[in-house]
Amino acid sequence: MAGLELLSDQGYRLDGRKATELRKVHARMGLFAQVDGSAYIEQGNTKALAVVYGSHEDRAARLHDRAVINCQYSMATFSTAERKRRPHGDRKSTEMSLHLKQTFEAAVLTNLYPRSQIDIYVKILQSDGGNYSACVNAATLAVIDAGIPMRDYVCACTAGFVDETPLADLCHAEESGGGTSLALALLPRGGHIDHLETLMEAAMTACKGVSKVLDEVVRQHLQEVSALTGE
Amino acid sequence: MTVVVLPTLVESTYCKSLWISAKSFSACVCVCVRAGDRLCSTEDCMPGTGVYLRHGYIYSSLAGYVLRKNEGEELPVISVVRETEAQLLPDVGAIVTCKVRFGELLMSTTDVKEDVRATEKDRYISVSLLSGAQMVPISWCEMQCPRTHAKEFRKVARVQPEYLQA
Repeated sequence: MAGLELLSDQGYRLDGRKATELRKVHARMGLFAQVDGSAYIEQGNTKALAVVYGSHEDRAARLHDRAVINCQYSMATFSTAERKRRPHGDRKSTEMSLHLKQTFEAAVLTNLYPRSQIDIYVKILQSDGGNYSACVNAATLAVIDAGIPMRDYVCACTAGFVDETPLADLCHAEESGGGTSLALALLPRGGHIDHLETLMEAAMTACKGVSKVLDEVVRQHLQEVSALTGE
Repeated sequence: MTVVVLPTLVESTYCKSLWISAKSFSACVCVCVRAGDRLCSTEDCMPGTGVYLRHGYIYSSLAGYVLRKNEGEELPVISVVRETEAQLLPDVGAIVTCKVRFGELLMSTTDVKEDVRATEKDRYISVSLLSGAQMVPISWCEMQCPRTHAKEFRKVARVQPEYLQA
């Protein structure tokens, strides 16, 4: 379709934002009285609702020295353009739930609640890109609303690449546009211990070592094949 | 139910609903902080509740108000509380009103003479009068103090023998 570029020549995106501009964020905390913590967030057109049940007894007593964090990520059936057949239990939801769990296990001071359990439920009410980020942000607010101690806020956002220009906070069209995208969640006040650089270096060195081995195998194979067929 | 606060009750992890009317406290409430805010260094204050330590500094772990309590010659204790009226932790020895969430036993009347200890032994709660003696169950619904021989109606829970401390 002509004119539907992710980034125009003047530097405007599909929704009129600049490359590093975030979408408008509206958030509310303390929506429900029955639960310990709740929050609602809108990032542009993406809407997420998070509910937290604060530390309560873990009947299985899985961890004797800290709390277990249960996360469930689900999408409402009306959240996407086509009615979503399987709102939770599918592979993507399970994977997102696991990511959420790992994120909050790093941020919440779970050692204060041994043998207990903290439940975080997040639901996407409208999906327009940055689902995971909206969930993390909503869950952070809900955990704070519940009064559960955390090291720092967990803030998340997506970024992508178009024509060598990085874009911040991608909407659905930009995410599915085929370019690269990254969702990042971090503790913004420097409490974040980042091992990514060291890991990347170690992995790159290892890959170069593998490349040498593969090269050797290919050469040897070529020699064998040419010996068989004759020169 | 009126309770005398012992150190174990404050650390109990299962007592979630706790209405506290502390008898006395000395505090000064000022600043609104968020989780992750650096409050002071460990040389200036001792950490209380709602904070955590990292690299020799005290950071807030809740969104709330800073409370600095002067204990005397020692360093002041710094805590972060969510609501200024309701969340001030009582000192040991203060009289509080409390509701046990996971305990099996009692709905006791507000009898000031009673002294209830909540222990962590699988939420077993033992009742003793202020005379200090442990009450002995004499039937499924009655307990008697061995010293004063006063009988009280209490629901008696059977404790499995492996949890009973001799």
